Amino acid sequence: MIVTPRILARLVAISVGGVLIQLSFFSRVELFHVSPDMLPALVIVLGLLGGTTTGAVVGFSVGLLVDCLLVEALGATSLVLLGAGYLAGLFRERFEIHSSLVPPLLCMGLTLFCELGLAVVQLLLGVDAPVSALLVRDILLKSLYAFFLGWPIYLGVRRALRPALVEEPKVRRRRQPTVLGT
Amino acid sequence: MYRKQVRRRRAVLALLIISSFALLTFTYGQGSGGLQRTVSAAFSPLQVVADRALKPARDLINWFDQTFDARGENKRLEAELETARAQAVAGKEALHENAQLRNLLALDRGPVLAVSAYEPVTGRVIARSPNVWYSTVTIDLGGGDGVRVNDPVVADGALAGRVSAVSGGSSQVMLLTDHASAVSAKVVPQGGQGVVRPDVGDPEDLILDFIDSTKRVGMGDTVVTSGWRVEGYESLFPPGLPIGEVTQASVVEQEASQQVHLRPYADLRNLDLVQVLTGGSRG
Repeated sequence: MIVTPRILARLVAISVGGVLIQLSFFSRVELFHVSPDMLPALVIVLGLLGGTTTGAVVGFSVGLLVDCLLVEALGATSLVLLGAGYLAGLFRERFEIHSSLVPPLLCMGLTLFCELGLAVVQLLLGVDAPVSALLVRDILLKSLYAFFLGWPIYLGVRRALRPALVEEPKVRRRRQPTVLGT
Repeated sequence: MYRKQVRRRRAVLALLIISSFALLTFTYGQGSGGLQRTVSAAFSPLQVVADRALKPARDLINWFDQTFDARGENKRLEAELETARAQAVAGKEALHENAQLRNLLALDRGPVLAVSAYEPVTGRVIARSPNVWYSTVTIDLGGGDGVRVNDPVVADGALAGRVSAVSGGSSQVMLLTDHASAVSAKVVPQGGQGVVRPDVGDPEDLILDFIDSTKRVGMGDTVVTSGWRVEGYESLFPPGLPIGEVTQASVVEQEASQQVHLRPYADLRNLDLVQVLTGGSRG
């Protein structure tokens, strides 16, 4: 990704917009008693499009903003989101897989990584209360929702950052030539 | 060239990881007060706008979820209504008798008066934490509205949590389901005391812990704040504020773990309007 000041402004706008939509919308709606979390998916998509450094920096920044806005322990969300962004970037750089299923599947897998990572960080920091088994349901459903959120987020972000993208997979269907008179 | 790029990427990653750990180490449990308050105050107007703009879409999705839930809940509520009717009749008699006895004993301070000593300020929830580890919400009331740290917050006539941080135009509320929440409470009418703690991951379940195993608690009993006061120290919450209803109270669990489960009266999953009880003591 070629990061010009204009692209940087777009990255900031996408990240801030994503955080506001998450806190004001997705965190306050429930499907089967679980709220979707679009922030890991957003960071993963940015890592997938921009590479390891973009993914890690955006993940760290988004996590820091969330922790600041909610006055939570600084660094916990940043740590897991930067990991997810970096891994998504690494996937882009290591594997040449061009399929429309890559963004949703990666979002699902790495959201699972984020949720488990956050659980580990919280348990290491110390939780003074019993932990319910329903936490497993929460983690799995959040990962499933990330699968469905992954594709629309990918399309939207790719459109917004199109001028900065170095290479785009161009997979075009070849049309069979029409043969007349057979 | 490629190696240099790889080295630079790794350096950035290492720097970010070290920064995250440094932030966790230096701010955990203490907070970074200034930075977080400044960012929170700067984003508060944006959050209010986002909250209002997204409300119709949010209501639509929640309507589907609640309709799905309501089908299963109807039978349970009918049974509860029947029990509540019987209790209401008994309660009216008890209230009348209580008023007569209070008059006789000239008691002029009770739980109700303790709550009325606060000044309630109504606010709207504008943001919510995306993960279950932190059960916090942001409300559109701040220091300018008289809100202070540790003020009790009520919703649906019952305790929802307490204010954990205040900035100019917004405040953070730590809900009863947050892992750091603990409220001293008692069971009425039995009077057993305990501490209400969350069951992390389950927003509809709270645990009344450290109860006296000799006093039996039954299903359907009400749990209210105990509001203690000892040698100049005072509970953050006024006495008699409803918290929830006991839903599981097996004898084995009471004797072995000294705990029972309760469902909060306040709908902590779908908070929209809340009241902050300002002006009281803050512990």
